[in-house]
Amino acid sequence: MNAIAAARRTWNERLFYLFALPFAALVIVFGLWPIAQSIRVAFLDSYTALSPDPRWVGFANFETIFADPYFHASLRITLIFTALSVVANVAVALGLALAINSPLVRRGSTFFKLCIFLPVITPDVAAFIVWKAMYDQDFGAINAALAALGLPPMAFLARADSALWAITVAELWKHVGFYTIIFLTNLALLDPELDRAAMLDGASWRQRLVHVTLPQLRPAITINAVYALIQFLKTFTVAVVMTRGGPNFATNFVSYYAYRRFDEALYGEATAMATTLFVLVGALGYAMYWAAERRDWR
Amino acid sequence: MRFRKALAAMVAALLAVATGAQAQQLTVWHDLGDNGIRWFNELNEIYRRTHPGVTVTSVSFPTDQWFGRSIAAINSNSAPDLLFNNYERVIRVMTQTNNRIVDLSSELAAAGDTSFITEADRRIATYRGRMIIFPVQRVQMAFGVRTSWLQRANEQFPSTWADVLRLGQKIRENPSGGAPAYGLALQAANPRDLIHMLDLFMFGTGLQHTLINPEGRIVIAEPRHAEVLKEFIKAFTEYRLVSPETVNHSFTDMYRMILGGRAGMFRVGDWNVRGWDTGTADLNGDFTLGPWPAFRQGDQNAVVIGGMRGVAVPENAPNRAAALAFARFLLSREAQASSLNNLGAAVRSDIPMDGLSERRLFFANPRGRLVAYDFPESVHEFYPQLEAEYHRRLLAAIASPPRDLDAFISQTSTDLQAWVDQRRPR
Repeated sequence: MNAIAAARRTWNERLFYLFALPFAALVIVFGLWPIAQSIRVAFLDSYTALSPDPRWVGFANFETIFADPYFHASLRITLIFTALSVVANVAVALGLALAINSPLVRRGSTFFKLCIFLPVITPDVAAFIVWKAMYDQDFGAINAALAALGLPPMAFLARADSALWAITVAELWKHVGFYTIIFLTNLALLDPELDRAAMLDGASWRQRLVHVTLPQLRPAITINAVYALIQFLKTFTVAVVMTRGGPNFATNFVSYYAYRRFDEALYGEATAMATTLFVLVGALGYAMYWAAERRDWR
Repeated sequence: MRFRKALAAMVAALLAVATGAQAQQLTVWHDLGDNGIRWFNELNEIYRRTHPGVTVTSVSFPTDQWFGRSIAAINSNSAPDLLFNNYERVIRVMTQTNNRIVDLSSELAAAGDTSFITEADRRIATYRGRMIIFPVQRVQMAFGVRTSWLQRANEQFPSTWADVLRLGQKIRENPSGGAPAYGLALQAANPRDLIHMLDLFMFGTGLQHTLINPEGRIVIAEPRHAEVLKEFIKAFTEYRLVSPETVNHSFTDMYRMILGGRAGMFRVGDWNVRGWDTGTADLNGDFTLGPWPAFRQGDQNAVVIGGMRGVAVPENAPNRAAALAFARFLLSREAQASSLNNLGAAVRSDIPMDGLSERRLFFANPRGRLVAYDFPESVHEFYPQLEAEYHRRLLAAIASPPRDLDAFISQTSTDLQAWVDQRRPR
């Protein structure tokens, strides 16, 4: 009997690998292979990188980018923007999810969910073109509102000190719906008995949130934070559409800077930047996951 | 009877095979978009009349993709038959493909009468002693002003920088329709955007270089250059001639400013006029063309030849002989007329110009002074990086205007010269 069960298990395993094989092949060909090629180009001379006889230059491209003060600034800006965006998105998404989950808005919850999720499915480029128009100093809706309030106009995207904040708000609008839906799904799975028991014990709303609800939401917070970290470290489209890395390099994120280098035919440096970002995303993503899993949330 | 039928079928089959063996498909890679595809389709129709076995198809890529794909294709022996683009872009392809672009000097000699190609054209088409493109379209850029705005301001077409400043101020203070408007539409987001704008003012007032001369000397602190540069920076800052958003503007945003009626003065390329003339664009023919403003008394203002578009043949083109023949055809009167009609530019002047509007004739049959761009990228391989370095410094000056612009220019010149000296071959 055991032999039959073992044979069936072996067969099932084989069948599983047989079905998984095409997808594994696709991942290797279209996922891992390009990444490996990109990392390889980071060690080649830019001028021969796309030729059949590329010249290996070791870590020269990495030395060049790490000696470049604009790359340092780009890294710093990317990290600041990521920190701001992760905190803002996770916090606002949590707040929105708790608000929509509240019995007070239950009747209109579908409408609110739709409103919050709509930006997520809006094409990035279209959304950011609209935001760019809204921020316009002369014709933008935001400046029209400021003018209606008797406030002076502001060139949100044309000033180095405000462009990063302006982009952070646009990115928050674009992505917060995704994180909110994950929180809402997890809130629906919470055990209501725990909340009721805490209420009977006289716990306040705040105490119940901090000591009952949030610890149960830990997996969702971890996933959202790690996913947001990965997403915002790689931010690209918003910079291309709204600021082109400006003004004066205030939004020159690493992805965009690498693209600019690629456009100057400096393929080695561009992929060295991309490789650095890849390592950074992996390391920070893992560190955040490890820290979130390790922490006692009670 | 059966035998005859079989014989006829055999002859037909043999003929089909023979014709099929001669049929050739030429592929051209360019970045001219829909206009370019339309142009090459028209060329294909014309060319097939004399070369029935040859079909020409074109593929248009965004410029950045055109670079990568062309370089990779030539390096991996999967090159197209022809490349069509600006001279300086072909240089980059050549330098990154181990010079695998055909030297067309001898082909030009076989092209018949090419007296319309000037010495300057030949110089612009030549790199490292090799003719890398057949010059097909001179790219001219003039200064444009919204005619109705000019009349409202009670001004003449601006011929000096002082005129530009005065008109710009009037436009800003009394915009058409009450909506905010600016004197000038410029672009500044990318290095080429900003330096290209500066090029137009520099060459338009008769200077020969914007940033570096062929000997590798940075020229920005030379008195005449410094004067134009200072005024150019002030256009963004003190004079507020441009929208504050311009620092993030690339060419699409610049066109939005021009066509959306938000700027009174702007660049007009020869390729723009057909669309802007016919009423299909918002500008609706409401613009006047002229040379770029002069910055100093005694300067002779000019229209700028900002580039040369042409055709190049990769050494490993699959149908090299046919590709070279088609490249020669692009210099014929028919092909040149088609070029003028579809893209607003050509190198021949002996082509029909009947029915062209006054503004199209301004470019097609230029009467004023023309000053050509100096193509520093053809002399200095590091030029794109130098331009990026210069762009960073100019953007910093626009974002936080220095108190002493002369000192800023002098310091920038010193720094850039040191940068160049590190990279110049000794």
